[in-house]
Amino acid sequence: MAKKGNKGVQRSVRGQEIGVITRGSLVEGLEMKLDASQNIEDMKAGKFVVIEGDKNDFFSMVTDMRLDANNQDVLLHPPRQEDELLRQVLSGTSTYNIVSLRPMLMMPKNADGDEGPRPVKAIPSHFSQVQEAMEDDVAKIFGREGDEQGKYFSIGSPLDMDTPVCIDMVRFAERSNGIFGKTGTGKSFLTRLALCGLIHFDKAVNLIFDMHNEYGFKAMKETGQSNSTFVKGLKQLFGERVAIFSLDPQSTRARGVQPDHEVYISYDQVTVDDVATLQDELKLNPTAVESAYLVYALYKDRWLRTLLAQEGPDVEEFAKEIGAHPGSLVALHRKLKRLENFPFMVQKGHADGDVVDRIMEYLDRGINVVLEFGQQTSMLCYLLVANIISRRIHEMYVKKSERFYSTQKPEDQPRQLMITIEEAHKFLNPSAAKQTIFGTIAREMRKYYVSLLVVDQRPSGIDDEVLSQIGTRITALLNDEKDIQAVLTGVSGTDGLRSVLASLDSKQQALVIGHAVPMPVVIKTREYGAQFYRDMGCLDDMPAGERRAQVQKKTSALYGDN
Amino acid sequence: MSTIEEPQNPLSRFLGDEAGAIGAWDAQKTHVGEVVESSTTELVAEARQLHGAPSFGQFVRVDSEVPIIGIVFNVFTHSIEPNRRPTAYGKTEDELRLEQPQIFELLRTEFQALVIGYVDETGPVQVLPPQPARIHSFVHVCSDDDVRAFTQTDDYLRSILNTSKVPTDELLIAALRQTLRAHGGDRSYLVRMGKELSRLLGDDYDRLSSIVRRAAY
Repeated sequence: MAKKGNKGVQRSVRGQEIGVITRGSLVEGLEMKLDASQNIEDMKAGKFVVIEGDKNDFFSMVTDMRLDANNQDVLLHPPRQEDELLRQVLSGTSTYNIVSLRPMLMMPKNADGDEGPRPVKAIPSHFSQVQEAMEDDVAKIFGREGDEQGKYFSIGSPLDMDTPVCIDMVRFAERSNGIFGKTGTGKSFLTRLALCGLIHFDKAVNLIFDMHNEYGFKAMKETGQSNSTFVKGLKQLFGERVAIFSLDPQSTRARGVQPDHEVYISYDQVTVDDVATLQDELKLNPTAVESAYLVYALYKDRWLRTLLAQEGPDVEEFAKEIGAHPGSLVALHRKLKRLENFPFMVQKGHADGDVVDRIMEYLDRGINVVLEFGQQTSMLCYLLVANIISRRIHEMYVKKSERFYSTQKPEDQPRQLMITIEEAHKFLNPSAAKQTIFGTIAREMRKYYVSLLVVDQRPSGIDDEVLSQIGTRITALLNDEKDIQAVLTGVSGTDGLRSVLASLDSKQQALVIGHAVPMPVVIKTREYGAQFYRDMGCLDDMPAGERRAQVQKKTSALYGDN
Repeated sequence: MSTIEEPQNPLSRFLGDEAGAIGAWDAQKTHVGEVVESSTTELVAEARQLHGAPSFGQFVRVDSEVPIIGIVFNVFTHSIEPNRRPTAYGKTEDELRLEQPQIFELLRTEFQALVIGYVDETGPVQVLPPQPARIHSFVHVCSDDDVRAFTQTDDYLRSILNTSKVPTDELLIAALRQTLRAHGGDRSYLVRMGKELSRLLGDDYDRLSSIVRRAAY
């Protein structure tokens, strides 16, 4: 009796009892018989529930539901539509609903404050009660935004709940991460949210290769109707802490913002490796790359400039001079000519100095860099620029981290850098991942303080080796079986998640799995609106009085009360 | 059931002139019968009035050391002399009462009740009583309150289902209708009982649907 009373008390703290555990295993997950008073339609895939065992609470996710009947007769002669009473009688007895649960974490019931959730190594006994998770449960697992360490960033709330789900920004920053989803499912919004979190909590400095000009300044919000609205970009939210670099300054200016820096790339900055990564885009054959190496062997840094300086018939002559195969070199020459069309390619270094040095300078000061491509949206251009810049940045980071390892002085420790790339499968597909710098970054991970934020709609195109190194995956709706398979590569216990992933809403819902969250969770993403801007410390939309108060507070913090 | 008020106590013929006083005493009495045969699982009671037995399926309470609760499952009227059957006269009951009032004195109504539990100081107990009802104990019809208290749980359904002598389904339906009335026609109560029945009847879906359909009114 005492035990029953005890449970009664806990029930009042938790949500409503929704069923009892009837069968299951650690490997295959648990089955719950849904309470007859519950409607099966309320049990959505991805819902967050708590199983109350005798000693532990098991935090679980709904992965599947099934209608069942203990008697074939009922199914052969279902009650008539008007026979409401009989249907009520049968529901929960002869006909019942089974909900599959995947326990994700367990926490001892009498846990002290510091004993957090642990991976599931046990299962609850028969007839353990299952309850809806409450705000406290969510906070216990995912932390609360605004804790002392300032590392929890809310990215949304669980399905059917208003409690914020937080990701641990420290853990998020220390590994490569992926944001996946079909086109139009809110990848850009998720990315912007994650970047806001990183910048706001200052856990990593970001270099964003912004192919579609979505992150820097103003972005269109897809409302599905004709009256599309615009949302604030990072520059608007974080002001001085974000710098916009532009490959196409005119386009950037046309959108109403002055780029902090214009990007030019000289031919001398292009290495043979950079060209090798363009093999697919330029349709180069392997011998072309070998020929390029021959040119490089003679002319070093100036190889590309020298090669492109040759005109038509001279190329064959040139090939003979350096001992390359003429046909191959002619083909290479012809294809590399395309690079001359890019307005940002220049012969000599720009007066402003090397763009990579400038980017590095900004990053060192903790200023996040958004590199806008403006009208230059071709894949070729994106691949080329992202590769050249990232490779150089990576080299610098390797040097910096090696210095840190030798001096071991805290001031030498490089800032954690996260590079955001879109259309990542172009850089990280099985053949490219071996050549592009991004493959190296993804594999080397945190050793050199550089990690990736991979944004992609086709995760199956990404090399498995790279995928398995991705720490946190934020995944919006995916339909393709291969893509789902790819996203779940390297995650244990994925059977249930598969169905969850395929049944997400196409807007504002995402599954978060991996390093930065203690357990996989389906979220309704945080509203990217006025309240969010305010939470991020942007004063623009605040009422005048409130803004004045904020400014005053900050002024007195800076200069003292007088 | 006869609506004619039976004026006399079955014993009145032995009481002669005092019958009037007895009549007044009779009016104050609330019992409907008196136990004449008793066992642990069922009892037979003689109705106080001819044709005055409680209805089929009704809950009755026996005033015994521990009050015993039963459900009426059989009512029968017969001659007090085992060897003498009533004969057909071809007249209405009213005519017969005028012409041959004595023949009604030779009849009596009895009813059988299935014992389903008892009441102790903690309240209703859905278990057979430790001792059967005593002979000559009075039998009362349970009030709605009594019925509600006793049928909060569904154990009485199981008691009914487990007996072999009675028309189980019919008794279940009658008992359910009685309790449903006591519960003020509460639909959710019927659903709850239906679910329990579904469990008790196991695979017998036809039987369940027939009972549930007929119990609802």
